[in-house]
Amino acid sequence: MDLAEHQRKLLGLIRDTYMVSPDDDAYIRRVAASRDLQEARRNVFLWRVYVLERTCVLTFRLLRQWGLLSDVLSAFIARHNISPFRETQAPALLKTLCRHPDELISAVARFELALMKVREGDPATYVVFWNVEPHGVLNSLARDLPVDRPVPEGRYAVRISRDVPGLFEIESLEGPRASPQARSAGLA
Amino acid sequence: MFDEGNGEMGSDTTSRDERMRTGVALGATYEGRDPQLLDRMLPHVEYIEVTLETISEVIGDRIALSDEIMAELKDLRGAAKIVVHGVSLSIGSHDGWSPTYLDLLDQFLEQIDVEWHSEHLGYTKVDGEHLGIMLAMPKSEQALDMLCARVQKMQERYKLPFLVENIVHVLPDAPGAYSDAGFLNALTARTGCGLILDLYNLECDAHNHALDIETFLEELDLGPVRELHLACGVEHDGFLLDVHSRLTRQSTVELARRVAGNASASPEVAVYEFMPEAVPGLGRDAIAGELRRLRRAFRG
Repeated sequence: MDLAEHQRKLLGLIRDTYMVSPDDDAYIRRVAASRDLQEARRNVFLWRVYVLERTCVLTFRLLRQWGLLSDVLSAFIARHNISPFRETQAPALLKTLCRHPDELISAVARFELALMKVREGDPATYVVFWNVEPHGVLNSLARDLPVDRPVPEGRYAVRISRDVPGLFEIESLEGPRASPQARSAGLA
Repeated sequence: MFDEGNGEMGSDTTSRDERMRTGVALGATYEGRDPQLLDRMLPHVEYIEVTLETISEVIGDRIALSDEIMAELKDLRGAAKIVVHGVSLSIGSHDGWSPTYLDLLDQFLEQIDVEWHSEHLGYTKVDGEHLGIMLAMPKSEQALDMLCARVQKMQERYKLPFLVENIVHVLPDAPGAYSDAGFLNALTARTGCGLILDLYNLECDAHNHALDIETFLEELDLGPVRELHLACGVEHDGFLLDVHSRLTRQSTVELARRVAGNASASPEVAVYEFMPEAVPGLGRDAIAGELRRLRRAFRG
């Protein structure tokens, strides 16, 4: 088999996007039916877990706590061309999760992505709007404690900027500005 | 040709053991930002292995070496020799290798002197699509011709010794024109490149795909082997995984010692590899203890 065809078919098998036909080479059919292929797919998943649990801590913990980690990561792996450079993987996952239908997951991902950028020296100011109370959520995630559910509702704006002491501050849109404890979630 | 044994020494124990203990230096992975770990490692190692992908960071839309980690490595100032070990060159991709990796290597070599550099003999992307894992090459003439041309380009571009490493076979082996060892022999003979022999990868292949390590080592030309790799992972669903998360098994150390003691082999360094993610679980003291143990095994 030609090298290009060989590699393209194995890529398709690893990503589960290639359907083997009876006309395929015996080797490709053997790989498709092998336990090795299942294990290889699992390895791809585990490598992403190793990296992401270290590089997007808050969002990773929330997904794990809510039992969504496996589905979210599997979809991410299947739909994205994930670079082997570890540092690119967290921003790619967070950008995806910014559009997640669960508003809390989306808010945490937006917050963590902005915090990541600001920590790396981005001079921009980011504002993430929350429809639940962020203090408890961020505090719990930073300490790897369970996020209490239901999360108290509220309208908040979290401003992330290198000009803010601690890199972020939380403002209630329904009452007075947040107190200094808003910046004590242990994240900055 | 290759000495039999289960880590036991034969009649030439003294001379072979002496050779093993005096001829092979020790190295270890270091990925930066952990000076406490580095302090514990340096008394035991002569080489530091650096993986460029791990010491890189995203700056806007580009990937660049971390200034902070580069400063750490420059501060070594001769305390250890440095070797660069790539992961993402993807030397075996049919559609070309990674220019991003070459850019990083250019940047690194402009700033830091290295003994040699190396890459895994496999591919991580196809048509620009990343596999998320590294796959072994089919051992065909077409693949060999392509790899030889690329190895020669690397040697011409950098004027440094270039080594390639035997990788784990994640998938069943494709039928080919060569055996595993025969393919490596042909590559080194045609290009003059060196080899990294990863003993744990051989153990994984033996466990997962019934590789006959004795036959492999009898056939392999050990002359080009300049570096040995030691590592350990975990077993999952009957598969031994190449995840570099554990302390080395004694069987791996014994295998490395046997290779080092072979009359036709002259590896310069044995490198203990572990992922930065594994450091919290292993502990810095345990890593230092492992390096002490390995140093005794190779240096006495």
